[in-house]
Amino acid sequence: MICHLSILEKRSIIIFLILFTIISTHLHAEEENVITSITSEMELFGDIATKTKLNEHYQPYIISIFQGKELEKLGVSTLKEALTLVPGADTATDNFNNQVPIFRGSNPLAYGQSKLFIDGVSVNNLFFEGYSEYLSLPIEMIKRIEVVRGPGSKTNKVNSYAGSINVITYAEDMNSDEKNDKIIFKAGSYNYKMGGFTKTYKKDDFSLFSDFFYQQDDKKLSSGYDALSQGLFSFSSPFVIDNRPLSSSADAPLWLKNYSLGMTLKYKEFSLKARTLNHKQGAGYGYLYMLPQENDYLKSPSHYLELAYDKKIDDYDINIAAGAKYDTFDYNAKVAPDNFKTPTAIFSDGMYGEYYAKQRTLYQAASLKYSGFENHTISIGYRLTNEETIDMFYKLSNLTTGNAALVDYTQTRPFFDKDAKRNTYTFTIEDEYSYSDYLVFTYGFNYEKTSLQNSNFDPRISAVYQYDVQNIFKAIYSKLDRNPSWQEMFIINNHAISTNKNLKPEHVNAYEAAYIRKFSSDAHLQVNLFFLNNSKQIHNTTAHPDYENIKDIDIYGTELEYKGNVTHNDQLYLNYSFVDGKDNDNVELAIAAQHMAKGYYIYNIKNNISISTILKYVGSKEREQKDTREKLSDYYTVDASLYYKNKINDYSLTLSVKNIFDQKVKHPSASDTYPDDYTQEQRSFMVTYVKRF
Amino acid sequence: MKKFILLFFTLTVTIYGYTYNEMLIKAQIAVFPKILLLDKKINNKLVDNKIVFIIAHEESDGTTAANIQNIFLQLYKNTLSNYVFETKTVEFSKISQSTEATAIYILNSQTAIKDLSNICASKGIITFSYDINNLKSGLMFSLMLEKNTALYINKKNFKNNKIDFIPSLYEIVKFINTQEDEQ
Repeated sequence: MICHLSILEKRSIIIFLILFTIISTHLHAEEENVITSITSEMELFGDIATKTKLNEHYQPYIISIFQGKELEKLGVSTLKEALTLVPGADTATDNFNNQVPIFRGSNPLAYGQSKLFIDGVSVNNLFFEGYSEYLSLPIEMIKRIEVVRGPGSKTNKVNSYAGSINVITYAEDMNSDEKNDKIIFKAGSYNYKMGGFTKTYKKDDFSLFSDFFYQQDDKKLSSGYDALSQGLFSFSSPFVIDNRPLSSSADAPLWLKNYSLGMTLKYKEFSLKARTLNHKQGAGYGYLYMLPQENDYLKSPSHYLELAYDKKIDDYDINIAAGAKYDTFDYNAKVAPDNFKTPTAIFSDGMYGEYYAKQRTLYQAASLKYSGFENHTISIGYRLTNEETIDMFYKLSNLTTGNAALVDYTQTRPFFDKDAKRNTYTFTIEDEYSYSDYLVFTYGFNYEKTSLQNSNFDPRISAVYQYDVQNIFKAIYSKLDRNPSWQEMFIINNHAISTNKNLKPEHVNAYEAAYIRKFSSDAHLQVNLFFLNNSKQIHNTTAHPDYENIKDIDIYGTELEYKGNVTHNDQLYLNYSFVDGKDNDNVELAIAAQHMAKGYYIYNIKNNISISTILKYVGSKEREQKDTREKLSDYYTVDASLYYKNKINDYSLTLSVKNIFDQKVKHPSASDTYPDDYTQEQRSFMVTYVKRF
Repeated sequence: MKKFILLFFTLTVTIYGYTYNEMLIKAQIAVFPKILLLDKKINNKLVDNKIVFIIAHEESDGTTAANIQNIFLQLYKNTLSNYVFETKTVEFSKISQSTEATAIYILNSQTAIKDLSNICASKGIITFSYDINNLKSGLMFSLMLEKNTALYINKKNFKNNKIDFIPSLYEIVKFINTQEDEQ
């Protein structure tokens, strides 16, 4: 046919074919560009979702997420209050009024079983291995709380034995257009007052985020009779000393006064995170379990600074960080009442004490993530940590004469080992292997060696299987170790505690499984099962004050978590947890609530007014084996809040009532100390005003 | 890319009515309109030579819909490739056979989804759903923040011959099975 066409027609056809080819090539290139653009967006949001834990259900651990703004609407005031909503988490208190979140009933008397991170920086203090001073962090400073339960929570090369809490502040938004500048004022029961702000500053590649708060209250709560009533400092041999009549039942000073300034600076790949927290609180239930005076105090300041370099080069992600953290235990109180007797003296004007130990932690860490192999993402890293007590002094009323004036016993009879020191070397490697789009394995190990204990090898393997869009399954095995804390190793010359530098780490082998049913994009039910095989747990009692690796205990249980809505104007969150276990002496799990149920409900009356309620039930707790007291009663609390937002002037007002029905909430005391346990707040009120700019 | 990084935090969705995941909304907004460019018959779906993208919502979600429209505006500035791109917020009750649109982004509703999907199917309007569950009711696309971000389609809902996407789209999506499919 073509051979019969004229030259002109042939030329037209050739031109048409060329144009067709050019146009179709151009169109095809455009389509490819669109596909590339879509996949880039999907990758970007995938990265964000992973970083912000929005895809929590697909992560290889058991995690619960709480958003700060939702908690504000609920009238939650502090980090501590927020953590009481976590499935399977309870709170314990000690004689210093240290508040410790307990995960799945795991050793409530131990120190350092869980870790707290503020924007990725580990802030546990060295003295207690706790973070009680951070639990009063106002909720308005917190963007999100991520709580990983179980030892699968290995984070930032730091072993978290029972769980880890990652608090994300609004510094996360500092490079976005999100406006988080605000001032906050709060007032409430116990003469509570708080003021604070958050502020972001940006110029070109430089950005700065800062938060500040000051808060105080004058809380004191009835303690019942102190430990003297239990004969803690009474002796029948070699001669009779009976201090029991000196026991008092005044209010325990639990007041709070603290302020904090946090800063995050970013310049290109470099960042600096720093915080100074000056925390002072009432002396609680006494260093020696004897009630202190109203103005006696515990200061526990905490300061940290971390410099980091983050760089992504093709398939490599590099992170290098170094930091320093200082924390102090500074206790100043009347530690025994007037006429207190010891074998050597009578303290007619009482015994006073000042205990001071300042610790420093230096660390350097680096990690490299490589995602260049098909279906594999390999991470490798190390962390070097130097922990040291850098200053210590100890003053006490004269132990020989009984004179109340303080005598310096720092050299002759110290309360703490001033040479306390530990170096820790941690190496970690992990591979995330995507067998398919629906099945991902994560496996690796932590190897840790310290200058005091043997080395630990802690493997972890997990599988996440997405059966379909609505059904997700997880299985996790992990082993982890908790190194003994400063408290357990270096306290000396103490009648109630006998420490041991040769303590070994506690071990846990954890087997966890989870099933998640997604009802919609925003509603889900999660069921977790766990079995924790704990061995060499560190334990002591007031009757047997030596810390020893004596306890093996198996803990098992389940957690159910639902989040969704009933109508289209509300939000509902519910969880229930059950835990049980037996130790090597066949003794049931003690000082842990077998049953806990928590939840909240928010109903949006209008588009700027909502009411909400929080319900918590904590079951009864069995006592320890030699504790003859009745088991600690269960309790429930109901909180209610009214939230109003003024959109024109951009401020919000929250009125909340906590523990409306004035229920008695008690945390268990150690046996032979405070017989009536540690009473917590009853009904209280709070007003919060937040003005945004 | 950078503007998306900046914009993913831009909206503080003060949500009353249904509760929405802000980040999921932002991810969907960043992806959904671009899918229209892969429709071979997009030119047949223009309204007055414009891509008209409706955000369909319940009355109680009016604020959310307005906020979403604002993000669309910031992100696309009324332009999608070479097309004029216009977004509108319309309540479910006001959408009918006479509604003119290229595509509809559908927020949550307990009652309106099925009727809406029937209207869209008969008119060849491309549908995007906030909630993945609505694909079972006849909507076409949804997006989930899973281990990796996943774009889902219900292929059963593509039988309409007015909709014809280029084959490479199907290489980046996951197919959802409905109970009817399984039977």
